[in-house]
Amino acid sequence: MEINFTDADIKFRDEVRAYLKNDYPAHVRDKQNNGIELTKQDMIDYHKSISAKGWMGYNWPEEYGGTGWSSTQIYIFQTEFGLAGCPPLLAFGVSMVGPVIYTFGNDEQKAKYLPDILNFDTWWCQGYSEPGSGSDLASLKTKAVKDGDDYIINGSKTWTTLAQNADWIFCLVRTETTQIKQEGISFILIDMKTPGIEVKPIITIDGEHEVNSVFFTDVRVPAENLIGEEGKGWTYAKFLLAHERFGIAGVANSKRSLNTLKGIVKELDNDELARKVANLEINLSSLEFTELRLLSALENGAHPGAESSILKIRGTEIQQELTELFVEAAGEYALIYPGPHGHGDNAKPAGPEFAAQSVSKYLNMRKTSIYGGSNEIQKNIISKHVLGV
Amino acid sequence: MNLNYSDEQQMLRDQVQKFCESDYSFNKREEILKSELGYDADLWKLFSELGWLSLPFSEKNGGFGYGPVELSVLFEEFGKVLIVEPYLSTIVLSGTILDKSNYANSASLLEEITSGSSQISLAYLEDGSKNDHTSTNSNLSKSDIGYVLNGTKGLVLNGGNADRFIVSAKKDAELTLLIVDADTKGISVNTYPTIDGQSCAEITFENVDIAESNIIASGLEAVELLDNTISLATLCISAESIGCMTACYLKTVEYTKGREQFGQPISNFQVLQHKMVDMFIESEVCKSLLFKAMLECESDAETKFKSVSALKAQIGKSGKAVAQDAVQLHGGMGVSDEMSIGHYLKKLIAIDALFGNSNYHLTKYSQL
Repeated sequence: MEINFTDADIKFRDEVRAYLKNDYPAHVRDKQNNGIELTKQDMIDYHKSISAKGWMGYNWPEEYGGTGWSSTQIYIFQTEFGLAGCPPLLAFGVSMVGPVIYTFGNDEQKAKYLPDILNFDTWWCQGYSEPGSGSDLASLKTKAVKDGDDYIINGSKTWTTLAQNADWIFCLVRTETTQIKQEGISFILIDMKTPGIEVKPIITIDGEHEVNSVFFTDVRVPAENLIGEEGKGWTYAKFLLAHERFGIAGVANSKRSLNTLKGIVKELDNDELARKVANLEINLSSLEFTELRLLSALENGAHPGAESSILKIRGTEIQQELTELFVEAAGEYALIYPGPHGHGDNAKPAGPEFAAQSVSKYLNMRKTSIYGGSNEIQKNIISKHVLGV
Repeated sequence: MNLNYSDEQQMLRDQVQKFCESDYSFNKREEILKSELGYDADLWKLFSELGWLSLPFSEKNGGFGYGPVELSVLFEEFGKVLIVEPYLSTIVLSGTILDKSNYANSASLLEEITSGSSQISLAYLEDGSKNDHTSTNSNLSKSDIGYVLNGTKGLVLNGGNADRFIVSAKKDAELTLLIVDADTKGISVNTYPTIDGQSCAEITFENVDIAESNIIASGLEAVELLDNTISLATLCISAESIGCMTACYLKTVEYTKGREQFGQPISNFQVLQHKMVDMFIESEVCKSLLFKAMLECESDAETKFKSVSALKAQIGKSGKAVAQDAVQLHGGMGVSDEMSIGHYLKKLIAIDALFGNSNYHLTKYSQL
């Protein structure tokens, strides 16, 4: 066993740090550090600065324009970004649809879509969940009916993150009604400008507009946009979910928040809260080493499976508890609601700066134990695959 | 960065596992606990022949020079079957102090304990020392032939079976570690059982003559020896508790699969499945903290003690939660003493209590 990284890995880490020092756009950094929401243009600037380094395909093989990095390098890359307080990279293009296209798509599709993902010229969103099909994703109803060289799509998707900014959406659609519901599902790419698509905001309890409903009414999509084989969409969707192992835990981002919290709690002279923070720090250490154990197993050629469910469950529990402790530290100032849809004239709120954002962050983070396969679903996965019950 | 066990470490695990699975059934353990000694002297000899008693000692003292990783492998496997042999008291606590000290008689004493022919117990805790293992009211005063020892020590693990004691005492306000034969005049030993089926002793030293040659270490050296040894022992029992937790969830899964109610195995019920998943996750996150503590053993003192406290704080809490759920999921059988599962609960409660409980270590962690 060896706790230190190799010299080569440390050299790589220094390269990542050099980007963060020199090329991470200053206006994005300033907003992030001050808790100011990023605009669409900020996100584009940020992603394009990573593309410019040739790092957008950080988890892709070299033959498709990726970096070909090792698991350790990917870990270091994500950890350094998290510690620096960068927003997580949008996963929809590079980590979700990209790998599906280069694994199951044809040459024309690879040539058409992959460069735009790597250059961040297309903003992708994900059309999976539907009203009525959440954790039971395969019960989805959005229909695609073949009509000449096109599919006609009718139905709706929901909880679609940042659909308001997206150029394209990748969707699971039902191309056939089959006995086994998984077998009639196909994976298709749709241009958001196609007539018949309507995006409606869903405002979440923190007052923010992050997710949307997307409605499809007789949307005509060229059949050449279908990935792989008709009826194999479920297989591709499962592949996609398995592709992203790291980053779910959010260790580095949580470490950064924890340090801020420790600074705040130090001033409060509140032993009870200090103990809760110490306890959370221990939980975070255990999560960090759970991730490192997984990384070591991967580098050793093992293919761990359900362990990533532990990362999802514990990582989101920690993210949520962090926000709870910020609220606790805010005391009475937690009453302040800084969301954009409230009453009043939005004067600068009284009390410490962190306090005004504490509750909206707390409310925002409730989503983490629900999305990406709810924590209960993750427990079902562990129960089935690890415990065998 | 590599958190994989080496081939050698894996071989050690396989060897210990094989022994535990084939030679240490729950019934066998029950018999051992009923015996006069409270451990199996033949198995202790076997441990010696297998080289296990020499694992952590330096090569100059005839050991393998292994570190916390190998010890934790051993203890994790021991925990799975609740081994009661006095490895912790004689080898880890007393042996480490002898091995790491500059004491002239260390090599011969270590030879005696690693051959399995003698037991030594560490007597450091006293009433009112409040987990501060370097605080002592025992006193070592000058006499014509050397020193005289007076004081009372509590919770001396395996104290009733020990041939010798390593004792902490104050000598001119300096912490001192000394070794004394158990049958020396003025020593009285009062043994009592512990919750996990083992035994410990309260030992009174009344005007016990101690020669200069019985002093192992004094001052800063004694403090560091005690700090580092107890830290290592804390790591060992944490690994043991992880073995206990692993056994708890595996036994519970097995039990619920076989237990039918309402016409089906109770393992079909999601509420039980999720509880068992929680047990599994708790044991895994504890294991992750064990890796951190093992890897940081060579770091500076603060980092090391902090990661050991984090580990001990967590395993105390998780161990109790896991074993309580295991008992709960075994239903009425869980509280029956003839089933093994309740004995894991008792072991985990004992481990939490030893060397500072979860609460104590959380406080220590937040102050370091």
